[in-house]
Amino acid sequence: MKTVVCIKQVLQLGDEVEFTDDGLDVDPDYLDPALNEWDSFATEEALQLRERLGGEVVLVTCGSKASEAALRRCLAMGADRAIRIEGVDRDPFSVARALAEVVSAENADLVLCGVQSSDAVQAATGTALAELLDLPRAAVVTKVDYDAGARTAVVDRELEGGLVDRVEIDTPAVLTIQTGINEPRYANLRAIKQAEQVEIDVRNAAGGGAPAYRVRKMFVPDRGEGAEMIDGSPAEIAARIASIVKERLV
Amino acid sequence: MARDPKHDILFEPIKIGPKVMKNRFYQVPHCNGFGSEKPFSQAYFRALKAEGGFAGVSTEYCSISPESDDTHRVSARIWDDGDIKNLSLMCDMLHEHDALAACELWYGGPHAPNMETRCVARGPSQIPSDFEFLTYAIEADKDDIRHLQNLYVAAAKRARTAGFDIVYVYGSHSYLPQQFLTPYYNHRTDEYGGSFENRARFWRETIEMVKEAVGDDCAICVRMSTDMFMGEAGTQLKRDCLPFVELCDDLVDVWDINLSGIAEWGEDATPSRFYPQGRALPWQAAVKAISKKPVLGVGRWTNPDLMAEAINDGKLDIIATCRPSTSDPFLPKKIDEGRLDDIRECIGCNVCISRWEIGGPPLICTQNATAGEEYRRGWHPERFTKAKNADNDVLVVGAGPAGMECAMILGKRGMRRVHLVEAQDDMGGTMRWIPQLPGLGEWARIVNYRKIQIDKLKNIEFIPNTKLSAKDVAEYGAEIVIVATGSYWSTDGLNGATHATIEGADASLAWQATPDQIMGEGKELAGDSVVVFDNDGYYTGVSIAEKLALEGKKVTLMTPLGTIAPYMHFTLEAPNQHRTLHRLGVEIVPYHLPSRVEEGVVVATHVYDEEGHEKSFAADGVVWVAQRRSNEALFRELKDSIGLDQLKVEGVDSLYRIGDCEAPRLTADAVFSGHRLAREIDSADPSLPLPFKRERRMVDDASVASEKAEYAALYAEASLA
Ligand SMILES: Cc1cc2nc3c(=O)[nH]c(=O)nc-3n(C[C@H](O)[C@H](O)[C@H](O)COP(=O)(O)O)c2cc1C
Ligand code: SF4
Repeated sequence: MKTVVCIKQVLQLGDEVEFTDDGLDVDPDYLDPALNEWDSFATEEALQLRERLGGEVVLVTCGSKASEAALRRCLAMGADRAIRIEGVDRDPFSVARALAEVVSAENADLVLCGVQSSDAVQAATGTALAELLDLPRAAVVTKVDYDAGARTAVVDRELEGGLVDRVEIDTPAVLTIQTGINEPRYANLRAIKQAEQVEIDVRNAAGGGAPAYRVRKMFVPDRGEGAEMIDGSPAEIAARIASIVKERLV
Repeated sequence: MARDPKHDILFEPIKIGPKVMKNRFYQVPHCNGFGSEKPFSQAYFRALKAEGGFAGVSTEYCSISPESDDTHRVSARIWDDGDIKNLSLMCDMLHEHDALAACELWYGGPHAPNMETRCVARGPSQIPSDFEFLTYAIEADKDDIRHLQNLYVAAAKRARTAGFDIVYVYGSHSYLPQQFLTPYYNHRTDEYGGSFENRARFWRETIEMVKEAVGDDCAICVRMSTDMFMGEAGTQLKRDCLPFVELCDDLVDVWDINLSGIAEWGEDATPSRFYPQGRALPWQAAVKAISKKPVLGVGRWTNPDLMAEAINDGKLDIIATCRPSTSDPFLPKKIDEGRLDDIRECIGCNVCISRWEIGGPPLICTQNATAGEEYRRGWHPERFTKAKNADNDVLVVGAGPAGMECAMILGKRGMRRVHLVEAQDDMGGTMRWIPQLPGLGEWARIVNYRKIQIDKLKNIEFIPNTKLSAKDVAEYGAEIVIVATGSYWSTDGLNGATHATIEGADASLAWQATPDQIMGEGKELAGDSVVVFDNDGYYTGVSIAEKLALEGKKVTLMTPLGTIAPYMHFTLEAPNQHRTLHRLGVEIVPYHLPSRVEEGVVVATHVYDEEGHEKSFAADGVVWVAQRRSNEALFRELKDSIGLDQLKVEGVDSLYRIGDCEAPRLTADAVFSGHRLAREIDSADPSLPLPFKRERRMVDDASVASEKAEYAALYAEASLA
């Protein structure tokens, strides 16, 4: 049983933001690096599968040397090894292409990603990766039932309004894991220290291919005006919205 | 971060008499236990507030003459050149931060016990103090009155020499000038008593004389209480205070308006248990409405929105704070910098005041462990040195107030990694439930402030829902282990009165409980009636009694002490707490100790009954607020079962314990204990506090020789007679 977990070191915004002089990025002084919250759940899920079924948990990330902190965090939780891919643009297509190259060589039974990253919030990488690997995928997974060597897994997917979609999916598969699926373990200091000693396998991205987007400018949007807060029962709110739409359309 | 423009008003300068305050933040007179006899402690304590942005900072009450000596409590004194010299240090250090220095000239009249000077104070009438025992004043005749007024003038001149910018003629809290104004103290029939004009005469004349003497150089401030809450006898806003403002507005440069007399000065220094912030605003606004001079006023102000509102609404000109400035001397700076969530807000517990009331000890603060330690331990509340052993990892077990404080300070001292591990699902320990007791909601600030700070410190990780065994701790991988597992209430009646358990006491039974069980675990006692046994003497017993009474139970509060919750006398919470319990019909049984309990009955004896007659109190349930004990099992296992040697083998170089786990005490002590260890984590032996600097007279050979010669001569001369 081999599980690959694709993780990301996110950059969290504080209360205040400044942009770099070229207007293309947020000034790094205003960003705090951290392991993407969803990815700690994905890692925990992989560790629990390993505890049950044996095998290996392999971490992969795209990013600079600094992003190894996120890998080490997951290594301290108990993952077996880690691969970091250098030189990747950060849009989801570029990331997925770089990941696909490494992940396909691993021949994993399951590939876990977080549903989304807390900084970009695009929820695209996992799906793009599945497409490139030509694997089935299930998104927003809140439960994984899988037996070692089985050809399928049964997973719960979270839908809106508290609904749950239970699906059977062929494996290998890509699952994007939702927060709350488990309780990620903490790493004690000894494990953290040991993880610091682990050698991380660094690869270079092959490159090529068009990015999903290019950043032309980052700015704080102008604040709009005239927002109306609508109170009342769902029916009243719906009626009010309908009348606003009608008014505006005329 | 930048200041929120809606707080700009707080940073506008304001002219008071011949002086200008650079912003609207002012530290009102308050004691710290240092007076004029610990000049460095005094100066550093006050200067820190100036550094934190306060534009004006006052002394505590400052005695103008040996006739007004408040010993056993510590006031400042401005009696002679020595005092001038000592207090000038404070003035100089305030001036270095462009802050104005104020001196609160004080004469206590009948309230001054004069235990050190053995003088007798003078007062308007010969009525014993309502604040002190066995303390009387001389009823002042006209010569005495002139003498008293000259004392104020001479003291004001000394204050000017020392470098003070603002000089008070202090009346609030029932001191001399206000005694003359108040029928309760003033029974005179001459021109200094009776009508308003007569009762106001002493104060007005004194202000006039002081103004004449120093008014060109110093702003004249009058501190007046605008209601003593004593009905006709006490000072009243409309009858006395507003006319007094009209009478003296031309002489006074700034009014300091507050509430209360001295016997219940918790109406001024309001416990959060009873009053929200800004409680005196209606009175202050009434003065502001008729005065042409700036008005400053207290209100346990911690919220800048409310401060700005008070000024914008024309109710105050200057935000005066005492406790909030102790809890966070950097309150103004943090508002200026828009760092509102860094403000260490006062919780209104009045533990600071308890030290003054007890008399003697330096002030402490529940929220700010550095209060009073600025000089003697050299602690700055906002600055930290990198620990010499910062390359170590630390495990703190237990996220109560002590553990949180310790982890936070270790984080600020740059330790490589600090893990704060907690068995429960969030931080706080017992301070999660204490704020749920009636009236104690603001005490949650203890936890909230630290939580926010810990969250900001990247080298601290909080790990909830994790109960570590001794083995887990040993193998955790930390070089430094700090056990902060708190304390619990005894479940078997073990108490500080008998040092023994009580027959039948067993809180595992359904009809008995401890505070931990009721508040922490939600245990409910069946039945209508309950006896709460309290030998703790502070807030827990009365609060549990109040809570149960509010829930509709018939509550008997029994204590072997002479009064319930005696420590709440020191925190000024006692009067209103008594009123609350009385209103709720709680029966108070002092001087009684249960000899045994059975289901349905508590059998007790009067502690002074030599024959031990038993008295039965019917009760469906019993709550034991008897004493606390440290949760020290983990520490003992680590130290005794695993042993320090084996811990070393595992890589644990040092093991400490802090807070209630060491010994259950005040929350202020628990916080201090965590703070102290973190400040001294790189000392030779962090388990022992480093010595602090003691300001005291030191004997040296020269002074020994000269004093001995002087006294030999003195005694020799006396022996001839
Ligand atoms: C520890 C302590 C000591 C005080 N000592 C004095 C004093 O010496 N003179 C005085 O006029 N008021 C004294 N006060 C009262 C304060 O000046 C102030 O009126 C009161 O604390 C309310 O302000 P706050 O809500 O900002 O704390 C003292 C208050 C405290 C907490
Ligand atoms: S001891 Fe309590 S009341 Fe006094 S300043 Fe500190 S937090 Fe406020």
